[in-house]
Amino acid sequence: MTAHYGRLRRLCRLMLGDPQEAEDVVQEVFLKAHEAERLGRAPMDWGAWLTRVAVNACRDRRRAGGWMRLRLRSTHIDDLPLVADTQAPSEAAVGEETRRRIWKAFRALPRRQQEVFALRYVEEQPTADVALALGLSPGSVKRHLYRAVRHLRRALGDTR
Amino acid sequence: MTSCLSDDTLERVHADLGSIAERAHLAGCAACTGRSRRLRRDLDLITAVLRDTREPLTRVAPARRRWMPAAIGLSTAALALLVWVEVAVWRAVTPVPPTMQPQEVAAILSDVSASLFSVNGDPVPAAGEEGPLSLEGMAREVDSTLTGDEP
Repeated sequence: MTAHYGRLRRLCRLMLGDPQEAEDVVQEVFLKAHEAERLGRAPMDWGAWLTRVAVNACRDRRRAGGWMRLRLRSTHIDDLPLVADTQAPSEAAVGEETRRRIWKAFRALPRRQQEVFALRYVEEQPTADVALALGLSPGSVKRHLYRAVRHLRRALGDTR
Repeated sequence: MTSCLSDDTLERVHADLGSIAERAHLAGCAACTGRSRRLRRDLDLITAVLRDTREPLTRVAPARRRWMPAAIGLSTAALALLVWVEVAVWRAVTPVPPTMQPQEVAAILSDVSASLFSVNGDPVPAAGEEGPLSLEGMAREVDSTLTGDEP
């Protein structure tokens, strides 16, 4: 199950935009998983189960804590650049401007499109699994994906 | 042969929303296949950025600074409304008493004074209506009180 930790952390971070909150949600998800296992309700496919629970937890967090998050949102210490900050190879390969544009465009997407894009492309899940995790029809997932891709590509603009 | 697919159509096909004819065209057209590869490269780039890079720091200003202009505006508007109500409305509808003559003021004041110093709720007779009681009169009143006779 620990194999899913990094994946869920990344997914929650993408969905919430706040590393600390993402960490909290992942902890919550693993607590639920532990509880399910203890009660003998372990799912057949832990990966899909964890994804679904994480998505729902992120949604709950957004709904319930919107105001608190707005009030308390701050830059966490582990997000601050180090004094001798060196870029990761992936960051060095992509220009700063491109990186900034992509993140900005992603955050400008509607929540549902962000979720679909994150699951389908970043997590590389099949359309059917994305639909299951988000409670959508496969057709709806495709339409959200199409809109998200169109928006993100436009945002790339001339930086390609 | 159909004309090449637009960017929009290519994206639709890529999202598995394209028609059979559009997919068939893409499979057979070198130009569209090249553009489709570029679309995939764009998506790879976007995905890599979202997966492997940190979100650029966007220092969010404290929330209070966001609603402060609105709060200041609302407060100013409320103050202006209050001043306007006071000046234009309240003063216009409040009846202003006519200027009183000094004699009327004196009469009112004497009424007030009489009410304040009345005995048993009866107003004290004004000066001149009944003179002050003499010693004899007071003695008669005391006698009548003690004997129960009418004075």
